[in-house]
Amino acid sequence: MDQVSAWLHEKNPGLDGPIGVDEDLIEARLIDSMDFLEFIDLLEEISGSSIDLQEVTIDDFRTLARVKERFLDPAGHAEVPAG
Amino acid sequence: MNTSSITALPDIELKSPGAGLITLDPVRTALLRGLDDLLTGLAAQLSAPEVVGPPLLSVDGLARLDFFRNFPHLGVSAGRFGPDVLDGLASGGSPRDLPLRPTGHVLPSATCYGLLLSLEGEDVGEDGLRLSAVGRCFRNETHYDGLRRLWGFHMREVLYLGTKDGATEHQARGGEFVQEVAGRLGLALTRAAADDPFYDNGGSRARLMALDPVKYEYSAPDGTAIASVNRHRNFFGERLGIRAGSHGSAYSSCVAFGVERWVHAMILAHGTAERALERLRTATGS
Repeated sequence: MDQVSAWLHEKNPGLDGPIGVDEDLIEARLIDSMDFLEFIDLLEEISGSSIDLQEVTIDDFRTLARVKERFLDPAGHAEVPAG
Repeated sequence: MNTSSITALPDIELKSPGAGLITLDPVRTALLRGLDDLLTGLAAQLSAPEVVGPPLLSVDGLARLDFFRNFPHLGVSAGRFGPDVLDGLASGGSPRDLPLRPTGHVLPSATCYGLLLSLEGEDVGEDGLRLSAVGRCFRNETHYDGLRRLWGFHMREVLYLGTKDGATEHQARGGEFVQEVAGRLGLALTRAAADDPFYDNGGSRARLMALDPVKYEYSAPDGTAIASVNRHRNFFGERLGIRAGSHGSAYSSCVAFGVERWVHAMILAHGTAERALERLRTATGS
Protein backbone atom coordinates (compact mmCIF):
# COMPACT_ATOMS: atom_id res chain seq x y z
CA MET A 1 0.00 0.00 0.00
CA ASP A 2 2.95 2.30 0.51
CA GLN A 3 3.60 2.22 -3.22
CA VAL A 4 -0.02 3.10 -3.95
CA SER A 5 0.06 5.99 -1.49
CA ALA A 6 3.36 7.19 -2.92
CA TRP A 7 1.91 7.11 -6.46
CA LEU A 8 -1.17 9.07 -5.37
CA HIS A 9 0.97 11.70 -3.67
CA GLU A 10 3.20 11.93 -6.73
CA LYS A 11 0.15 12.53 -8.91
CA ASN A 12 -1.33 15.01 -6.44
CA PRO A 13 1.55 17.18 -5.24
CA GLY A 14 -0.85 19.56 -3.52
CA LEU A 15 -2.07 16.82 -1.19
CA ASP A 16 -1.35 17.36 2.49
CA GLY A 17 -0.87 14.38 4.79
CA PRO A 18 -2.05 10.81 4.40
CA ILE A 19 -5.06 9.74 2.34
CA GLY A 20 -7.88 8.23 4.38
CA VAL A 21 -8.55 4.55 3.64
CA ASP A 22 -12.21 5.37 2.92
CA GLU A 23 -11.65 8.52 0.88
CA ASP A 24 -13.28 8.38 -2.55
CA LEU A 25 -10.27 8.43 -4.87
CA ILE A 26 -12.35 8.52 -8.06
CA GLU A 27 -14.84 11.27 -7.21
CA ALA A 28 -12.17 13.45 -5.60
CA ARG A 29 -10.08 12.83 -8.74
CA LEU A 30 -7.02 11.71 -6.79
CA ILE A 31 -6.93 9.16 -9.61
CA ASP A 32 -7.42 11.39 -12.63
CA SER A 33 -9.12 9.89 -15.68
CA MET A 34 -5.93 10.41 -17.69
CA ASP A 35 -3.94 8.39 -15.13
CA PHE A 36 -6.44 5.58 -14.60
CA LEU A 37 -4.63 3.02 -16.78
CA GLU A 38 -1.33 3.92 -15.14
CA PHE A 39 -2.97 3.17 -11.80
CA ILE A 40 -4.12 -0.23 -13.11
CA ASP A 41 -0.55 -0.90 -14.30
CA LEU A 42 0.74 -0.02 -10.85
CA LEU A 43 -1.66 -2.44 -9.15
CA GLU A 44 -0.72 -5.18 -11.63
CA GLU A 45 2.95 -4.56 -10.99
CA ILE A 46 2.56 -4.70 -7.21
CA SER A 47 0.30 -7.74 -7.18
CA GLY A 48 2.07 -9.57 -10.00
CA SER A 49 -1.20 -10.43 -11.76
CA SER A 50 -3.37 -8.95 -14.47
CA ILE A 51 -6.57 -7.03 -13.89
CA ASP A 52 -9.36 -7.71 -16.36
CA LEU A 53 -11.47 -4.59 -16.59
CA GLN A 54 -14.43 -6.76 -17.59
CA GLU A 55 -14.29 -8.38 -14.16
CA VAL A 56 -14.18 -5.29 -11.97
CA THR A 57 -16.43 -2.37 -11.08
CA ILE A 58 -15.52 1.21 -10.39
CA ASP A 59 -16.12 0.57 -6.68
CA ASP A 60 -13.11 -1.77 -6.66
CA PHE A 61 -10.93 1.31 -7.21
CA ARG A 62 -12.88 3.81 -5.16
CA THR A 63 -11.03 3.67 -1.82
CA LEU A 64 -7.65 2.54 -0.55
CA ALA A 65 -9.41 0.03 1.69
CA ARG A 66 -11.18 -1.56 -1.26
CA VAL A 67 -8.10 -1.49 -3.51
CA LYS A 68 -6.14 -3.33 -0.81
CA GLU A 69 -8.88 -5.89 -0.25
CA ARG A 70 -9.60 -6.49 -3.94
CA PHE A 71 -6.15 -6.44 -5.50
CA LEU A 72 -3.41 -6.53 -2.92
CA ASP A 73 -4.52 -8.91 -0.16
CA PRO A 74 -3.69 -12.52 -0.98
CA ALA A 75 -7.28 -13.71 -0.36
CA GLY A 76 -8.98 -11.12 -2.55
CA HIS A 77 -6.10 -11.24 -4.96
CA ALA A 78 -6.81 -14.87 -5.87
CA GLU A 79 -10.26 -13.86 -7.13
CA VAL A 80 -8.84 -11.61 -9.78
CA PRO A 81 -8.85 -13.55 -13.05
CA ALA A 82 -5.70 -13.32 -15.05
CA GLY A 83 -6.59 -11.30 -18.15
CA MET B 1 -44.82 32.46 -25.66
CA ASN B 2 -47.15 33.89 -28.28
CA THR B 3 -46.92 32.08 -31.58
CA SER B 4 -50.26 33.31 -32.88
CA SER B 5 -48.58 35.88 -35.11
CA ILE B 6 -46.78 33.24 -37.14
CA THR B 7 -46.97 33.98 -40.80
CA ALA B 8 -45.67 32.01 -43.71
CA LEU B 9 -43.32 33.73 -46.07
CA PRO B 10 -45.17 33.65 -49.40
CA ASP B 11 -42.93 32.85 -52.35
CA ILE B 12 -39.82 33.57 -50.30
CA GLU B 13 -37.31 30.94 -49.44
CA LEU B 14 -34.79 31.62 -46.67
CA LYS B 15 -31.64 30.13 -48.12
CA SER B 16 -28.76 28.79 -46.09
CA PRO B 17 -26.08 31.50 -46.13
CA GLY B 18 -23.31 28.88 -45.95
CA ALA B 19 -22.28 25.49 -44.66
CA GLY B 20 -23.51 24.99 -41.12
CA LEU B 21 -25.51 28.21 -41.24
CA ILE B 22 -29.29 28.34 -41.34
CA THR B 23 -31.88 31.10 -41.00
CA LEU B 24 -34.86 29.62 -39.21
CA ASP B 25 -38.20 30.36 -40.82
CA PRO B 26 -41.08 31.68 -38.65
CA VAL B 27 -42.46 28.22 -37.85
CA ARG B 28 -39.06 26.79 -36.86
CA THR B 29 -38.33 29.94 -34.92
CA ALA B 30 -41.58 29.49 -33.00
CA LEU B 31 -40.56 25.88 -32.36
CA LEU B 32 -37.13 26.96 -31.12
CA ARG B 33 -38.55 29.58 -28.78
CA GLY B 34 -41.36 27.37 -27.53
CA LEU B 35 -39.07 24.43 -26.92
CA ASP B 36 -36.58 26.60 -25.08
CA ASP B 37 -39.42 27.91 -22.90
CA LEU B 38 -40.45 24.34 -22.17
CA LEU B 39 -36.89 23.23 -21.41
CA THR B 40 -36.45 26.21 -19.12
CA GLY B 41 -39.01 24.40 -16.98
CA LEU B 42 -36.13 22.39 -15.55
CA ALA B 43 -34.60 25.59 -14.24
CA ALA B 44 -37.93 26.51 -12.67
CA GLN B 45 -38.28 23.07 -11.09
CA LEU B 46 -34.81 23.35 -9.60
CA SER B 47 -35.09 27.05 -8.70
CA ALA B 48 -32.16 27.91 -10.94
CA PRO B 49 -32.06 31.64 -11.66
CA GLU B 50 -31.70 32.68 -15.28
CA VAL B 51 -28.48 34.43 -16.26
CA VAL B 52 -26.92 35.52 -19.53
CA GLY B 53 -23.41 34.22 -20.13
CA PRO B 54 -20.64 36.11 -21.91
CA PRO B 55 -20.47 35.96 -25.71
CA LEU B 56 -16.71 35.29 -25.76
CA LEU B 57 -14.39 33.24 -23.57
CA SER B 58 -10.75 33.92 -22.77
CA VAL B 59 -8.37 31.32 -24.15
CA ASP B 60 -6.33 31.58 -20.95
CA GLY B 61 -9.37 30.70 -18.88
CA LEU B 62 -10.29 27.80 -21.16
CA ALA B 63 -6.70 26.53 -21.20
CA ARG B 64 -6.88 26.21 -17.42
CA LEU B 65 -9.93 23.99 -17.90
CA ASP B 66 -8.01 21.71 -20.31
CA PHE B 67 -10.36 22.83 -23.08
CA PHE B 68 -7.70 22.80 -25.78
CA ARG B 69 -6.28 19.49 -24.57
CA ASN B 70 -9.69 17.90 -24.87
CA PHE B 71 -11.09 19.73 -27.88
CA PRO B 72 -8.22 21.24 -29.86
CA HIS B 73 -10.30 21.31 -33.04
CA LEU B 74 -13.50 22.81 -31.70
CA GLY B 75 -12.85 26.44 -30.86
CA VAL B 76 -14.02 29.14 -33.25
CA SER B 77 -11.54 31.93 -32.67
CA ALA B 78 -12.34 35.62 -32.45
CA GLY B 79 -9.77 37.55 -34.47
CA ARG B 80 -9.50 41.09 -35.70
CA PHE B 81 -7.76 42.87 -38.52
CA GLY B 82 -4.57 44.70 -37.56
CA PRO B 83 -4.11 48.44 -38.22
CA ASP B 84 -1.71 47.68 -41.09
CA VAL B 85 -4.47 46.26 -43.28
CA LEU B 86 -7.30 48.66 -42.44
CA ASP B 87 -6.54 51.15 -45.20
CA GLY B 88 -6.56 48.39 -47.79
CA LEU B 89 -9.89 47.10 -46.50
CA ALA B 90 -11.39 50.56 -46.39
CA SER B 91 -10.32 51.03 -50.01
CA GLY B 92 -12.35 48.01 -51.01
CA GLY B 93 -9.66 45.32 -50.68
CA SER B 94 -10.83 41.76 -50.05
CA PRO B 95 -10.72 40.59 -46.43
CA ARG B 96 -10.65 36.93 -47.48
CA ASP B 97 -6.96 36.13 -47.23
CA LEU B 98 -5.84 38.81 -44.81
CA PRO B 99 -4.23 37.59 -41.61
CA LEU B 100 -6.20 38.05 -38.41
CA ARG B 101 -4.67 39.09 -35.12
CA PRO B 102 -5.69 36.94 -32.17
CA THR B 103 -7.78 38.60 -29.49
CA GLY B 104 -7.16 35.92 -26.89
CA HIS B 105 -10.80 34.91 -27.08
CA VAL B 106 -12.93 32.24 -28.70
CA LEU B 107 -16.65 31.90 -29.16
CA PRO B 108 -18.24 29.62 -26.56
CA SER B 109 -18.58 25.96 -27.56
CA ALA B 110 -20.83 25.28 -24.56
CA THR B 111 -22.91 27.57 -22.38
CA CYS B 112 -21.51 26.46 -19.03
CA TYR B 113 -17.91 27.56 -19.59
CA GLY B 114 -18.70 31.26 -19.33
CA LEU B 115 -20.75 30.69 -16.18
CA LEU B 116 -18.00 28.61 -14.59
CA LEU B 117 -15.29 31.14 -15.41
CA SER B 118 -17.47 33.86 -13.87
CA LEU B 119 -17.56 31.94 -10.59
CA GLU B 120 -13.80 31.69 -10.12
CA GLY B 121 -12.80 31.94 -6.47
CA GLU B 122 -16.41 31.98 -5.22
CA ASP B 123 -17.92 29.98 -2.38
CA VAL B 124 -21.30 28.62 -3.46
CA GLY B 125 -22.11 27.63 0.12
CA GLU B 126 -23.25 24.43 1.78
CA ASP B 127 -26.40 24.24 -0.33
CA GLY B 128 -24.68 24.85 -3.63
CA LEU B 129 -25.75 26.99 -6.55
CA ARG B 130 -27.76 26.46 -9.71
CA LEU B 131 -27.76 28.70 -12.76
CA SER B 132 -29.66 28.45 -16.02
CA ALA B 133 -28.72 30.07 -19.29
CA VAL B 134 -29.17 29.74 -23.00
CA GLY B 135 -26.45 30.91 -25.33
CA ARG B 136 -25.34 30.60 -28.88
CA CYS B 137 -22.51 28.11 -29.07
CA PHE B 138 -20.07 27.54 -31.90
CA ARG B 139 -18.13 24.46 -32.91
CA ASN B 140 -15.89 23.78 -35.87
CA GLU B 141 -17.10 20.51 -37.37
CA THR B 142 -15.77 18.41 -40.22
CA HIS B 143 -19.20 18.42 -41.81
CA TYR B 144 -22.52 20.18 -41.27
CA ASP B 145 -25.95 18.71 -41.59
CA GLY B 146 -29.13 20.78 -41.38
CA LEU B 147 -30.34 21.40 -37.85
CA ARG B 148 -28.48 18.29 -36.66
CA ARG B 149 -25.01 19.75 -36.98
CA LEU B 150 -24.64 23.52 -37.18
CA TRP B 151 -21.65 25.83 -36.92
CA GLY B 152 -23.56 27.87 -34.37
CA PHE B 153 -26.56 26.74 -32.34
CA HIS B 154 -28.43 27.46 -29.12
CA MET B 155 -27.50 25.49 -26.04
CA ARG B 156 -29.67 25.70 -22.93
CA GLU B 157 -27.93 24.54 -19.78
CA VAL B 158 -28.83 24.18 -16.14
CA LEU B 159 -25.60 24.11 -14.14
CA TYR B 160 -25.11 22.98 -10.55
CA LEU B 161 -22.13 23.54 -8.27
CA GLY B 162 -22.05 22.19 -4.74
CA THR B 163 -21.61 18.85 -3.08
CA LYS B 164 -20.75 15.47 -4.56
CA ASP B 165 -24.21 14.10 -3.78
CA GLY B 166 -25.86 17.28 -5.01
CA ALA B 167 -24.09 16.99 -8.36
CA THR B 168 -25.24 13.39 -8.73
CA GLU B 169 -28.81 14.30 -7.82
CA HIS B 170 -28.82 17.22 -10.28
CA GLN B 171 -27.74 14.86 -13.06
CA ALA B 172 -30.44 12.36 -12.11
CA ARG B 173 -33.20 14.97 -11.95
CA GLY B 174 -32.06 16.39 -15.26
CA GLY B 175 -32.35 12.96 -16.85
CA GLU B 176 -35.86 12.46 -15.47
CA PHE B 177 -36.87 15.87 -16.80
CA VAL B 178 -35.54 15.08 -20.29
CA GLN B 179 -37.60 11.89 -20.50
CA GLU B 180 -40.69 13.54 -19.04
CA VAL B 181 -40.59 16.43 -21.52
CA ALA B 182 -39.83 14.05 -24.39
CA GLY B 183 -42.89 12.01 -23.45
CA ARG B 184 -45.10 15.10 -23.49
CA LEU B 185 -43.76 16.03 -26.93
CA GLY B 186 -44.13 12.56 -28.43
CA LEU B 187 -40.37 12.04 -28.73
CA ALA B 188 -38.88 8.60 -28.21
CA LEU B 189 -35.36 9.08 -26.88
CA THR B 190 -32.69 6.52 -26.14
CA ARG B 191 -30.23 7.08 -23.32
CA ALA B 192 -26.61 5.98 -23.63
CA ALA B 193 -23.33 6.63 -21.89
CA ALA B 194 -21.14 8.86 -24.01
CA ASP B 195 -17.68 10.26 -24.03
CA ASP B 196 -16.27 12.94 -26.21
CA PRO B 197 -12.70 13.77 -25.36
CA PHE B 198 -10.69 14.32 -28.49
CA TYR B 199 -7.46 13.50 -26.69
CA ASP B 200 -7.26 10.42 -24.50
CA ASN B 201 -4.11 9.24 -22.81
CA GLY B 202 -3.83 5.81 -24.45
CA GLY B 203 -7.50 5.11 -23.85
CA SER B 204 -7.21 5.76 -20.12
CA ARG B 205 -10.17 8.10 -19.96
CA ALA B 206 -12.35 5.84 -22.09
CA ARG B 207 -11.61 2.89 -19.78
CA LEU B 208 -12.58 4.84 -16.69
CA MET B 209 -15.63 6.16 -18.51
CA ALA B 210 -16.70 2.59 -19.32
CA LEU B 211 -16.55 1.71 -15.64
CA ASP B 212 -18.02 4.96 -14.37
CA PRO B 213 -19.84 7.04 -16.97
CA VAL B 214 -19.99 10.76 -16.27
CA LYS B 215 -21.96 11.70 -19.38
CA TYR B 216 -25.21 10.36 -20.74
CA GLU B 217 -26.78 11.47 -23.99
CA TYR B 218 -30.42 11.30 -25.04
CA SER B 219 -30.83 10.68 -28.74
CA ALA B 220 -33.63 10.84 -31.29
CA PRO B 221 -34.35 7.72 -33.40
CA ASP B 222 -31.95 8.93 -36.12
CA GLY B 223 -29.09 9.05 -33.61
CA THR B 224 -29.11 12.82 -33.03
CA ALA B 225 -28.16 13.55 -29.42
CA ILE B 226 -30.52 16.32 -28.29
CA ALA B 227 -29.71 16.46 -24.58
CA SER B 228 -27.00 15.35 -22.22
CA VAL B 229 -26.42 15.14 -18.48
CA ASN B 230 -22.83 15.57 -17.37
CA ARG B 231 -20.89 15.20 -14.13
CA HIS B 232 -17.55 16.92 -13.78
CA ARG B 233 -16.64 15.55 -10.33
CA ASN B 234 -14.66 18.35 -8.62
CA PHE B 235 -12.64 19.27 -11.72
CA PHE B 236 -14.00 22.78 -12.28
CA GLY B 237 -14.19 23.46 -8.55
CA GLU B 238 -10.52 22.62 -8.15
CA ARG B 239 -9.28 24.37 -11.27
CA LEU B 240 -11.23 27.55 -10.60
CA GLY B 241 -11.00 27.59 -6.82
CA ILE B 242 -14.78 27.35 -6.43
CA ARG B 243 -15.70 26.06 -2.96
CA ALA B 244 -18.88 24.63 -1.48
CA GLY B 245 -18.64 25.82 2.13
CA SER B 246 -17.11 23.22 4.42
CA HIS B 247 -17.17 20.60 1.64
CA GLY B 248 -14.07 22.05 -0.02
CA SER B 249 -13.77 22.14 -3.81
CA ALA B 250 -17.19 22.27 -5.42
CA TYR B 251 -18.47 19.34 -7.42
CA SER B 252 -20.46 20.24 -10.50
CA SER B 253 -22.84 18.79 -13.05
CA CYS B 254 -24.96 20.18 -15.84
CA VAL B 255 -27.92 19.34 -18.02
CA ALA B 256 -27.59 20.56 -21.59
CA PHE B 257 -30.09 20.85 -24.42
CA GLY B 258 -29.23 21.52 -28.06
CA VAL B 259 -32.31 23.54 -28.91
CA GLU B 260 -32.07 23.34 -32.71
CA ARG B 261 -31.69 19.58 -32.32
CA TRP B 262 -34.93 19.49 -30.36
CA VAL B 263 -36.53 21.30 -33.31
CA HIS B 264 -35.02 18.66 -35.60
CA ALA B 265 -36.28 15.82 -33.38
CA MET B 266 -39.79 17.32 -33.29
CA ILE B 267 -39.95 17.58 -37.09
CA LEU B 268 -38.55 14.05 -37.37
CA ALA B 269 -41.20 12.72 -35.00
CA HIS B 270 -44.20 14.64 -36.33
CA GLY B 271 -43.50 14.88 -40.05
CA THR B 272 -43.56 18.63 -40.65
CA ALA B 273 -42.55 21.76 -38.77
CA GLU B 274 -46.20 22.86 -38.68
CA ARG B 275 -47.37 19.61 -37.12
CA ALA B 276 -44.46 19.72 -34.70
CA LEU B 277 -45.53 23.21 -33.62
CA GLU B 278 -49.12 22.03 -33.14
CA ARG B 279 -47.86 19.23 -30.94
CA LEU B 280 -45.71 21.64 -28.93
CA ARG B 281 -48.68 23.96 -28.41
CA THR B 282 -50.85 21.07 -27.30
CA ALA B 283 -48.15 19.93 -24.87
CA THR B 284 -47.71 23.38 -23.39
CA GLY B 285 -51.35 24.48 -23.56
CA SER B 286 -50.32 27.62 -25.42
